[in-house]
Amino acid sequence: MRAIEPWVEGPLKTFMTESAARVCLIMTGAGQVVAQHGFTRSVDVMTAASLGAGIVASTRELATEIRAGSFGAVVHQGSRLGVYLAPFELPAAPWIGLVVFGPDTSLGMVQLFFGRMVDELVRAAPRDEPHRDVLPETFEDELNASLRTLFGR
Amino acid sequence: MTDDISGMTSQLAHDPTSLVFLPLADALRRRGQLEPALAVAIRGVHRYPEIADGHDLLARIHADRGDGDAAFDAWTSVLRLTPDHLGAHKGLAFLAFRAGDLGRSAKHLSRALELAPEDASLAAAVERIRTMIATRAGGAEPAADTPRRSGPVPIPPTATTETTPTLLLDAQGRVLRGRIDRTDGLDASDAVAAALAGVSREAERAANLLGLGHWRAIAMEAGPFNYEIRTPTAETLLLVARGREVPAGRLARIADRAVDQARRWLEELG
Amino acid sequence: MISREQAVLDEVTRIGGVRSALLVSSDDGLVVVESALEDQATEAAAAFAARLGGRLATLTSALRAPPMSVLLLQATAGQLFVVVGGPGLLLVAVTSNEVNIGEVRLALLAAAGQLN
Repeated sequence: MRAIEPWVEGPLKTFMTESAARVCLIMTGAGQVVAQHGFTRSVDVMTAASLGAGIVASTRELATEIRAGSFGAVVHQGSRLGVYLAPFELPAAPWIGLVVFGPDTSLGMVQLFFGRMVDELVRAAPRDEPHRDVLPETFEDELNASLRTLFGR
Repeated sequence: MTDDISGMTSQLAHDPTSLVFLPLADALRRRGQLEPALAVAIRGVHRYPEIADGHDLLARIHADRGDGDAAFDAWTSVLRLTPDHLGAHKGLAFLAFRAGDLGRSAKHLSRALELAPEDASLAAAVERIRTMIATRAGGAEPAADTPRRSGPVPIPPTATTETTPTLLLDAQGRVLRGRIDRTDGLDASDAVAAALAGVSREAERAANLLGLGHWRAIAMEAGPFNYEIRTPTAETLLLVARGREVPAGRLARIADRAVDQARRWLEELG
Repeated sequence: MISREQAVLDEVTRIGGVRSALLVSSDDGLVVVESALEDQATEAAAAFAARLGGRLATLTSALRAPPMSVLLLQATAGQLFVVVGGPGLLLVAVTSNEVNIGEVRLALLAAAGQLN
């Protein structure tokens, strides 16, 4: 497991154990990976995170366009693997979870324990940190910091 | 609520990690408030699974509630942590006596007496049990030292005229005893044991998350067969299978007896 | 106007001691239709019913025996009934321990028959 924020580790680990999912990425709304766990070598993490954030953003726009309010999770079920993609709100900012799961579990289990993980993350998330605006001049630094943490460079 | 219980309850509420759960649960038990006592003890044991006295207290509460199976599990857990726990040996002796198993009761009472030789009531209980055993055996004098068996006692056949396919396995999916065949007659014991490993954990998770307590049994109907899955101890599973001509209620009773037999066998195994 | 599935489940929850009755997708473990008391964790019941059914399917597969049709998980404070309701569907009921097991079993089997 790799996590930039240490308070994410416990809930993420519990989620993976209980749901038997294969991969879970937790990312900011902009697609920056905050934590990852599972068989992540089978996934291009950065690309998957970007694509996931893009899907969530597109879905949000679609909901606005058709005046549907908001949509929740997006699920794609293939013959071997499934993907569960869900935005959720933390006190400081919106995040996104991307879960890859196989036939040894089910969407119901993933959904059930994802909800519980979100509840734990909301409880564990620090509240007194000032909101950090990602300014253009610091964006590159933050991305590089993410890469160094996640890939050990 | 007495001042003591009130004070201990406040202390536990203020600090859920406090070991005050032990005297609090015991005080509630002594007042006959078994449900709150059970709730306090279960939470405490989950937090401190390595404290033998927690399991001992939980066993006493289960016994007071009339749940002998749960009391047995808890006292067995005590002995796993502390093989010479006096309370656990006394408790298991009591359960065995109540189940009519005088031999096992005598074994636990004897060990308890070794641990507390000054306890006159224990000495008297051991003597009484031995007399009862001798009476049942037709008047023969009990030996001063009961000879130990050379090996584990085999699971005796059930009272039915047909063989009851029964499989005892450990939590890691390995066969401990028994056999079960596929419908084509080939031995399926290893495959079934592997398939069942993890069922106990899933059943416990399901029961826990659905607010159903701890799981005790699974009954399953599948085509021409009925199955019962039980957990004789925390680390073992028992599968009993019969054809549908045996009613489900009867199969449940057969499984109850098989659980008792399995527990005795496991105790002998050590 | 309630659906046929809802009406069938409502009949099951009329039995004393039944806390919830669900129609569940066995592949996904998701609730399709439910009839439940307010505080019931129906999402969890659906997920675990499907999960247990799947686990026990490996048992019957190992025995080369027909698949499960009825499952009853008995616990210290309640019970979980699972009945195969048709292709890809399960009928699930969560009950207290005081319930008439035979009555609930028959009700779920009857419900499965009505939905098929």
